[in-house]
Amino acid sequence: MRYVLSLLVIAVMVAVQTSPAAAMAGYRETFQKEFLSEPWAGDREESDACIECHASDIIKSEFRAIPTEWKQSWHYQNDVSCHSCHGGDPKDAATSMDPHRFFAGTPKPAQVPEFCGKCHIGILKNYQESGHGMALKSSGKGPNCVTCHGSHNIQQASIDIINEKLCTKCHSYERSKVMRQALFLTEKKIEELNNRLKQLKTEGMAADEEEKSLFGTYGEFRALFHTEDVSLVKKRTDEFTAKLDIIEKRIQDLFDELRFRRNVSAFLALIFMGMGAVILLIAKTKKT
Amino acid sequence: MRRRFLKIMLAVLGFTAFGSLLYPLARFLSATRGEPKGKQLAFKKTEIPIGAARDIVFNGTPAIIINRPDGGFVALSRVCTHLGCLVDYDKSKKRLLCPCHAGVYDLDGAVISGLPTRPLREISLKIKGDDVVIG
Amino acid sequence: MWDKIIGWFEVRIGIGELVKEGLDSCRAPKNVSIFQTIGCAALAAFVIQVFTGFCLLLYYAPNTEQAFTSVQSIMQDIPYGWLFRTMHVVGGALLLVTMTMHMLSVFVMGSYKNPREMTWIAGGLLFFTTVFFAFSGNLLPWSQLNYWQTTIATAIPSSFPYAGEFITEVLRSGGQMSALTLNRFFALHVSFLPFVFFLLLVFHLFLVRRIGISSPPFGTEPENTSPRTAYRKETYPDGHPVYPYFMVRAAFMVMVYLSVLFLLITFLPGLFLPEGSVIQANPLKTPAQVRPEWYLLAPYQMLKLIPNKFFTLSVQVIMGVLFIFWPFFDARKEGNILKRPLLFGLSLSVITLWLVLTIWGRY
Repeated sequence: MRYVLSLLVIAVMVAVQTSPAAAMAGYRETFQKEFLSEPWAGDREESDACIECHASDIIKSEFRAIPTEWKQSWHYQNDVSCHSCHGGDPKDAATSMDPHRFFAGTPKPAQVPEFCGKCHIGILKNYQESGHGMALKSSGKGPNCVTCHGSHNIQQASIDIINEKLCTKCHSYERSKVMRQALFLTEKKIEELNNRLKQLKTEGMAADEEEKSLFGTYGEFRALFHTEDVSLVKKRTDEFTAKLDIIEKRIQDLFDELRFRRNVSAFLALIFMGMGAVILLIAKTKKT
Repeated sequence: MRRRFLKIMLAVLGFTAFGSLLYPLARFLSATRGEPKGKQLAFKKTEIPIGAARDIVFNGTPAIIINRPDGGFVALSRVCTHLGCLVDYDKSKKRLLCPCHAGVYDLDGAVISGLPTRPLREISLKIKGDDVVIG
Repeated sequence: MWDKIIGWFEVRIGIGELVKEGLDSCRAPKNVSIFQTIGCAALAAFVIQVFTGFCLLLYYAPNTEQAFTSVQSIMQDIPYGWLFRTMHVVGGALLLVTMTMHMLSVFVMGSYKNPREMTWIAGGLLFFTTVFFAFSGNLLPWSQLNYWQTTIATAIPSSFPYAGEFITEVLRSGGQMSALTLNRFFALHVSFLPFVFFLLLVFHLFLVRRIGISSPPFGTEPENTSPRTAYRKETYPDGHPVYPYFMVRAAFMVMVYLSVLFLLITFLPGLFLPEGSVIQANPLKTPAQVRPEWYLLAPYQMLKLIPNKFFTLSVQVIMGVLFIFWPFFDARKEGNILKRPLLFGLSLSVITLWLVLTIWGRY
């Protein structure tokens, strides 16, 4: 009887309390906002002045897609925000696009390499020495970073950027193909090592050092690619293969360690299961 | 008879379980956490004039010895603490620059600007007479 | 020789006599069920937590600078550190599960009824202490996963009017998560909670021993369930002796527990240590999907679904109180839950609801 009574108490509580709970629509969003946008949830630049304007309809429609594109990008995942590239002050709408606040706006095609090269220094250097870079510098017509990588929706680069559709915009695919072949094996190895590192992580094994040395190696390798110099890439491939082999060996060691751990705990599980079985038999055996 | 056999079984299994937990415990308790000792490297002081630097590999880590104009010799790991690219020494600006994402360090290894959050790892270095000894 | 040594101590301490006396006076009812040994498994699980926790304490550094790296070094550099850490992490979760199963069996057998109300209350408090244990221990590795799980969970009380903000501030030691939050959780986890847990445990076990093991209502000769007016210990003269009959079954249950523990470690090593747990906490970067730990998912999902947070939290607090003081709300004599369809249906739907909310909250 008493638990029926206590249920009644709850029912009364429900009746009293549900009245302000009219608006169900959009509640999920408000909840997320309230729980995640508080100061303790960190200052993400999402609510900055750039995005507020660029998401509203006071701006030209072609500019409006930029925040959405950026949110799908590799830059977004790595905390590279609007002002990291374009300058300006995202905290203050009035002066956000003031040149005195180092606002750079949209670079002209010939300025794009320096624009991206603010951060990607090594790649800029190699690019400027390449056929691509020299063509852009001398004639003003030549592929810049954005031609191949895109701008706001930039993704982590892979060998698939060298494809017929992109390269034949300017020249025959034959030349690109030779480069792609020169890169292919090393790129595949990098990709494979990356995947194996990811697998280690999902099994709770941190491989911070290996991850960093892999990034360092392929960063260097990819910068080298930007020289567009096939013979240089071929000449140095052995050097990179040797470096990648060392990393591969260390990753393999981690997998071996993981297998060893699995064997240890499997052994313990077996022992305890055996003990359980023996105890059960003892319980079933009558004293003689 | 059967009961006796089962009891012996249980004792054997019990000791195995006990032992296979005791061994890890002994190893766990006796662990020491120290810097792994590597081979030392030595250079003549005169090999690196003031302002110059030399790239070395120490214990598998790419590193650099710099003869700082205003602070003497220092040995720093060249591995950028952001993502692991190798930083380069910029003699004219007295700083170390990472080619991947423009992280900048001063000659003590501290971060000046860019994405790295931790300073470069310093490698111990001693001056013994005319020699610079690393490690 | 051996007998002589034992004999020398026996003459001077009389341990053997004490044990014999204690065991003889302790008997289990004839129809004692194997499910009544789950409590022993929970006790063993707790002992494992104390032991592995002590091991981790030897290498853990409780400050935001070193917490993450010290835990990673336990996992990677220190020999067999991974074994004790995974045992502690998986064991913590399994302890909660085992305690829940113990309570379910007590609930189904109606063993919480007169004269064992206080045993139930002490058990309920033990359960809440364990939840706090898990909650405070979860922050200590200071990984991205742990940091944000705790951020979310400590934000929950703030939706209470007036007192809410205060509770959150007390939990976090200020409005925001900081180095002090880690200190606070560490102190709770290794010094305050063990003390509270130990006291409650001693009281709980004392009562079990004092009143005697309960007799399930399903057997041929159920225990006399009429409310007591005077203290009486259940002696079960025709029952089984606790040693060896009950103890052997308890040992079996402990082995089941250990097997499950190591099977989980073997086959699902990433279950309680997912990807976010190997990334250092970054207070400036919220991961894409943040959820509290699995045992808080059901209340969290409830908060998400019901628009009025104050109402939802009130219901949860009332349910908590109801759970602790359940023996007083349910004073009926009938101990067999199968003969009480209303209670049976109600408890089954609460459990189902909890499971559904947990799974819903997970995806």
